Amino acid sequence: MTTSLRQILTLMAKDLRVEARTRQTLGLVTVLGILIVVVLGLGLGAEAAATRGFGATAVLWVAYLFSGVLCFEKTMAVERADGAMAALMVAPIDRGNIYLAKLLSNLILMAGIAVITPCGVLFFAFDLSIAPGTFVAVMSLAVIGFAAVGTLFAAVVSSTRLQGGLLAMMIFPVTLPLVIASMQLLLHRFRDGQSIGGTGLGVLMAFDAMFLTLSWAVFEWVLEP
Amino acid sequence: MWQMLKTQSNVAAVYSTATVLAFGAAMGLLLTYTPTETTMGPVQKIFYLHLPVAINTFVSCLLVFIASIGYLASQKTWWDDLAAAAAKTAVQLCAVVLLTGMIWGRGAWGQWWTWSPRLTFSLALFLLYVVYLVVRSSIESRRQRAVIAAVYAIIAFLDVPLVWLSARMMPDIHPGSIQLAPAMKLTLGVWFVPVTMLSLGLTIGRFSLIRRSSDATHVKQSPAPASNSAASRFQIAGGVL
Repeated sequence: MTTSLRQILTLMAKDLRVEARTRQTLGLVTVLGILIVVVLGLGLGAEAAATRGFGATAVLWVAYLFSGVLCFEKTMAVERADGAMAALMVAPIDRGNIYLAKLLSNLILMAGIAVITPCGVLFFAFDLSIAPGTFVAVMSLAVIGFAAVGTLFAAVVSSTRLQGGLLAMMIFPVTLPLVIASMQLLLHRFRDGQSIGGTGLGVLMAFDAMFLTLSWAVFEWVLEP
Repeated sequence: MWQMLKTQSNVAAVYSTATVLAFGAAMGLLLTYTPTETTMGPVQKIFYLHLPVAINTFVSCLLVFIASIGYLASQKTWWDDLAAAAAKTAVQLCAVVLLTGMIWGRGAWGQWWTWSPRLTFSLALFLLYVVYLVVRSSIESRRQRAVIAAVYAIIAFLDVPLVWLSARMMPDIHPGSIQLAPAMKLTLGVWFVPVTMLSLGLTIGRFSLIRRSSDATHVKQSPAPASNSAASRFQIAGGVL
């Protein structure tokens, strides 16, 4: 257990160190996210205010989804450079641990992408002060599930040398339950003023548990040098 | 070989004719015997096609799931071929479910589309399996394609109940349950026969086609027998000389 934890933390630290030195991913995906929010805000114009701010959650999800996909793609692409993945695979490390390390790196980077949120709140007049804790809890749980699936499919796509929109195409339909559930919970809380209680968060946690377990279990099938 | 293909072709012709006749009989029953529903009117009759197709869609998705597990467990290519065949059937049937649902919705509620749980669920299911087919067609290496498609299919199938659970959080305009008169139940039961025959026929037909195509590719890629290679070398040498 301790060995596994050490391996996971070492791999995660390696990923974050690479990111800190190259600064390839975080800046790119954050700017992309902000651009998506701005473009959708411009496109909706006055309609954005007419949605009484609730359109912000949908717009933020769009931004998170596209930025997230780019983030997963970039972090996995680092392993493909100079045959790093082949070296990683011959190392005496369980592949499940490689998955967990990649997932943690992605989650930390996704936390960085959260700076998109104030843009959405500002441009769409979304009153986050009603229940900021609920918003953070719901979105965090949804993003964990999203990252769990994204990390797995990023490994799939990178092993096939395929480029383009295939990763987004694979991730989006699978993460639909998370998007639907989190959107509905936020609407219940912010639009209808109802408490979502433990059940709503429990559903998201159950989804996360399933996505995490499944992705971790099948990761070794898809990992190729 | 030729004899076997001829027999297969005859079986396919008989099966296709039986399926068309079964559809004809079910349609005759629907138009002449089944009463018209009082609230929704004649448009409700699309339900007798809609429900059996929806059930067969789930069966096809289940088949893709089982075949994918079978491939990962045994690494036998015919499991992968079966998954591909069943996935194509699932996508086609799901498209019919969506179209018939939309026509029914237009007649019953005056809207082609509404974000109700069941419609959202059907759309998500359709997208999951369309992506499965796109992923398959994007990967050239046979082994890699089979592994990745199997992994995706397993995740997609286990995702289906989650989509259903999450979609149930949305507001619904569908009736909770539908009460059917005995004549309506009979018609519904009869409609399951041609639809199931069609679904099975599509999957089996496509499976045998993919198997033959795979065999042909395998024969093409296999090295020639030693004697033939030697003979061809002599021929080439003779030609050069």
